[in-house]
Amino acid sequence: MVLNIEKLTGGYSKTAVIHDISFNIKAGEIVGLIGLNGAGKSTTIKHILGLLNPQAGRIEVNGIEIGEDTEEYRRALAYIPESPILYEELTLNEHIDMTIMAYGLEEGMAWERAEQLLKVFRLDEKGEMFPTHFSKGMKQKVMLICAFIVEPDLYIIDEPFLGLDPLGIESLIELMVSERTEGRSILMSTHILSTAERYCDRYVILDDGRLLVSGTIDELRDGLGMPGASLDELYLSLTGGAGSNESTPS
Amino acid sequence: MKAPLHKSRIEDDIRVRAYYGKYIFNSHFLIFLTIAAGVFLYSLLGMLSMMEPSIYLDIIAALLMSFTLLPKYRPLLKEADVLFLPPYEKHMKRYFSSMDRYSVWLGIYLPEIGLAISLLLLRVGHPGWVMALFAAMSVLLYIMAFLIRRDAVNSPVSQNTVISLLIIIHFVSLLSLLIHPAFTILGLLLIGGLYFWVQKKQHKNLDWPKIIDYEASMKQKYYQYVSMFTNVRQASKQYKRRKYFDFLLRRPKAGRFNKDHMYEYLFRRTFLRDNDLPMIILRLLLIFSVVIIWVDQLVLSVIVLLFALYVIVLQMSQLYTAQAYLLWPKIWPVKREYIQDGYIRFSHKMIFMIALLLAVIFILLHPVYFYIAAVFPLWGYMLNSYFSKNVYKKERLLSD
Repeated sequence: MVLNIEKLTGGYSKTAVIHDISFNIKAGEIVGLIGLNGAGKSTTIKHILGLLNPQAGRIEVNGIEIGEDTEEYRRALAYIPESPILYEELTLNEHIDMTIMAYGLEEGMAWERAEQLLKVFRLDEKGEMFPTHFSKGMKQKVMLICAFIVEPDLYIIDEPFLGLDPLGIESLIELMVSERTEGRSILMSTHILSTAERYCDRYVILDDGRLLVSGTIDELRDGLGMPGASLDELYLSLTGGAGSNESTPS
Repeated sequence: MKAPLHKSRIEDDIRVRAYYGKYIFNSHFLIFLTIAAGVFLYSLLGMLSMMEPSIYLDIIAALLMSFTLLPKYRPLLKEADVLFLPPYEKHMKRYFSSMDRYSVWLGIYLPEIGLAISLLLLRVGHPGWVMALFAAMSVLLYIMAFLIRRDAVNSPVSQNTVISLLIIIHFVSLLSLLIHPAFTILGLLLIGGLYFWVQKKQHKNLDWPKIIDYEASMKQKYYQYVSMFTNVRQASKQYKRRKYFDFLLRRPKAGRFNKDHMYEYLFRRTFLRDNDLPMIILRLLLIFSVVIIWVDQLVLSVIVLLFALYVIVLQMSQLYTAQAYLLWPKIWPVKREYIQDGYIRFSHKMIFMIALLLAVIFILLHPVYFYIAAVFPLWGYMLNSYFSKNVYKKERLLSD
């Protein structure tokens, strides 16, 4: 099991935002984390990354909790945030250098992979530029390149398609599928259910900070008695057409 | 009852200034200021007692005043005001007159100090009534400069143009008054002319986005000033590539291209590409060098240079704080201690280079006592170690 979450309760202060959430991700799986704004997706991700401390429950990545060996735990993860977060003082190539040093990658091989990714995302001639001067989509591509050169066991991608152009989305999907083939796993939070339905192996559906249901599309259809239903229809049926907490921050 | 807008904005601004004032005017700085002011007055009075009346003294006095008579206008407007306040523009006279009064008093200390020094200089060769006329003209120029700078904000005239014109007019007015009191009229004509010119250029209604941008830039300037002494959360950092520094930014060699050296790699770039920090340190080096050349006294030179290193070490520590709270160090599989190690390695090297430079200046001034210069690198090392630990401690407490 690459990721195992058991009875996770947590949030930003003493008040819990997510309650009793359990799910897992096996090697070579793409799992969609689905929910409305305020459902608890980002809070769950922050707990997995170790940015928040659980109030109850446990999170294991490759069988270890963050407290046991922080470096080992983090080495197994690569994170792509919803909004790109970059160093204003570093060029694109220097962002790649920092990632290589942080993850202890073999420099030659990592740069070979980086160059391929730079070509895929059409940034190969912008290495000496400062990404802070890029458009939002281009910044997001920098984040993707930095994450995908790491080749970790688990990618955590928050709203992966946000801000990307159609070519960028296609390249990202190809990369995700190829990583899955290599036995790596992906947890992606998304609102774009039609794309999630095409590429995710399983779904974790959150509402109001609680796990509503998780499973493959067939398991969801069976559970809800809606054979042939799309993920959109299943989702609307599960949430009653609207979230109960649209305004709660996640 | 809710306080009127002008009152709450002024109170907020005073609160921020009081908060940072505590850090700027700490006990070390006050001791240094007292010593520096004492030495300055002592040497100035000593020098003046032996001086004959001279046009150069008048020029220095007029120059000093022309640079200090530049009051800042602070409308204390916020970004959201552009949405909510324009409909009430006609009813905001009370708000803006409060801001005028607040702004006038805000920067009064600088012309007061300037005037005190200028009057000391003018005591050589000028009768009391000329000095009184000089002081009265300075007060008038200060008020006029304020009105002109305020009105220029709501006009297409740039602040740089206004400041340059004001400095020239102040200088010409005050110097001509000292040459012959009848020339006071020339100063009045010049400043009056500038005032009416800016008045004519003013927009009919308030240019809200421009005034709000102006206030934001004034606030940033204040934070940048404060950040010379302490960390300022609100100061937004800007970076620019300085190609001439690129030779200092080589990638680590194969054996060092790892997490042990990644933060040093980052800190070098953060420092050399920071919009302000390298220039602030250069300015500090110049100011303190000029001070020790002016003072030209062994013990005071040592005290001034020790203080210079203290201010520079404080300046450098903002680099660590800026990096430690970002997202990526919390995500990367690298212990937080590596940020501290990277910073301490980088900052020790930087402080050593600066201390060496100060030591060279000291040796050039006091070659007989060259061995005392050894104290500067040592002091820089001790200060840097001490303040770095303090920054780590604060960071640990905040992250807990």
